[in-house]
Amino acid sequence: MDRETVKKVAHSAHLELTEEELDRFSEDIGKILEYFALLDEAPECKEFGLDPIDVTDVLRDDVPHLDIDPDSLLERMDTYENYIRGPRLL
Amino acid sequence: MTLFDLTSLPKINEKYQIFKSMTSETNMKDAKFLFSAKDNLTSKDMETCCGSKILEGYYPPFDATSVGDMKAAGGLLIGKTNMDEFGFGTFSTNSAFGVPKNPYDIDRSCGGSSGGAACAAAVMDGHISIGVSTGGSICGPASFCGIYGMVPTYGRVSRYGLLDCGNSLDKIGILSSKATDMEKYIRIMAGPDQKDTTSCMQPEISKRRKLESVAVPEDILDNVSEDVKKAFDDGLEILKEMGIDVKTVKMSSIKYAVPAYSVIATAEASTNLARYCGMRYGQQKGDLSLKFDDYFTSFRSQYFGEETKKRILIGTYTRMAGLIDRYYNKARMVRQLIIDEYRSVLKEYDAILTPTMPFVSPKFTDVSKMSVVESYKTEILTAPPNIAGMPHLSVPCGYDPNGMPIGMQFVADQWDEGLLFSTGEDWEKKFDLVKPEVSV
Repeated sequence: MDRETVKKVAHSAHLELTEEELDRFSEDIGKILEYFALLDEAPECKEFGLDPIDVTDVLRDDVPHLDIDPDSLLERMDTYENYIRGPRLL
Repeated sequence: MTLFDLTSLPKINEKYQIFKSMTSETNMKDAKFLFSAKDNLTSKDMETCCGSKILEGYYPPFDATSVGDMKAAGGLLIGKTNMDEFGFGTFSTNSAFGVPKNPYDIDRSCGGSSGGAACAAAVMDGHISIGVSTGGSICGPASFCGIYGMVPTYGRVSRYGLLDCGNSLDKIGILSSKATDMEKYIRIMAGPDQKDTTSCMQPEISKRRKLESVAVPEDILDNVSEDVKKAFDDGLEILKEMGIDVKTVKMSSIKYAVPAYSVIATAEASTNLARYCGMRYGQQKGDLSLKFDDYFTSFRSQYFGEETKKRILIGTYTRMAGLIDRYYNKARMVRQLIIDEYRSVLKEYDAILTPTMPFVSPKFTDVSKMSVVESYKTEILTAPPNIAGMPHLSVPCGYDPNGMPIGMQFVADQWDEGLLFSTGEDWEKKFDLVKPEVSV
């Protein structure tokens, strides 16, 4: 995989890579993708799911309840007047 | 170390680097047993880092269902075991918090990613480790550390409280030096949990039954070391003496398991790890003057380790428009092919048997020399049952001339854990386990 593609993918993944990382990942990921080409030889099938077992929707009883105390969550976050601090949008 | 000797924990940990976090308790009090949890399972008020700097300082407000079930059964959680960052690795060398040492030779790996869990079960008598397997992270370390490791069917144990790596692959299981512990502790953790839909699909655990036949895939020994071949052949002889029918079968799909597993695991992980961005969990003190995207990027670039970054990149790439059919969707097709082939063979045989790992635990100096593809291929024997969600059990079956343990792996049909429980116990009666010499 060439360095520009690695850089583009890293941008999508919110990663900023050093020049050294770009070189190393470019080489490593190129080799891994060559290995993944083995999948091209595998036969195709029409029916396949997201999970290895059959999963259907299961609904629990619609009873309001609280699993975790919101205050205990806030204690673990960087907050300001009970609001979670975050970076500016604009 | 005896069951009650909690005072030895710091010294044990200093030598083997098993735990990221440990209890400060020095006696068992009323606990019925001691257990540890891999550090990707949440534990109330005990730090949970997943082997990553980005989660350092995260103290969850709740227990994972599996951890809570073990506590409710009388277990005392004594620590969180070290692991490859987010489960990315086969040798536990990708942790931000030290590298667990093999109990048979501290210059060698415990395997990964549940390396700390395997080491804990091997060096502490009566200890029960909860591990998590995505592509081989329970059976691989169990094999390298000379213990039993069992992965139940995908969905058997609730994943609530598990910090996801690959949602469709992650399975919670048990590592112990005793086969009899597999049934006891998997039954404690198994069962439907309203907080994890995939656990609500499960039927009852199958009845225990005696293993009568095993199928060994042909060519499976082509890529394993001579020492592993010999131990495996010796294991087959013991099985035949036990009256078990051993046959060779053709399984053409399993050669695609490692690339298919790697594609699915990285694709799923790359989305799961999007939540680690410098807000809500672990590291949160950043430069708030940065723009929204730059803030997240700076955290992730600073605190994710190299292997994690690499796998996020692979997973992001294989999900991209124009590539998703070639990689991610094809990998899902291959998973179905593997499941179908397993089911076809398991209609005629009780279980499928292979060695667990292609070689004995390597020295750390050899791990560092492995190419990236060689490293991925070490899961060639454990990836097939993992991608197919089949229950599997690794048992110790021999030792190389240096005394390093070797394991073999039984794979049963989905939900047929009962067969593996009795198989492990029958094997335990026939095999002489050589425990490591533990000195601190």
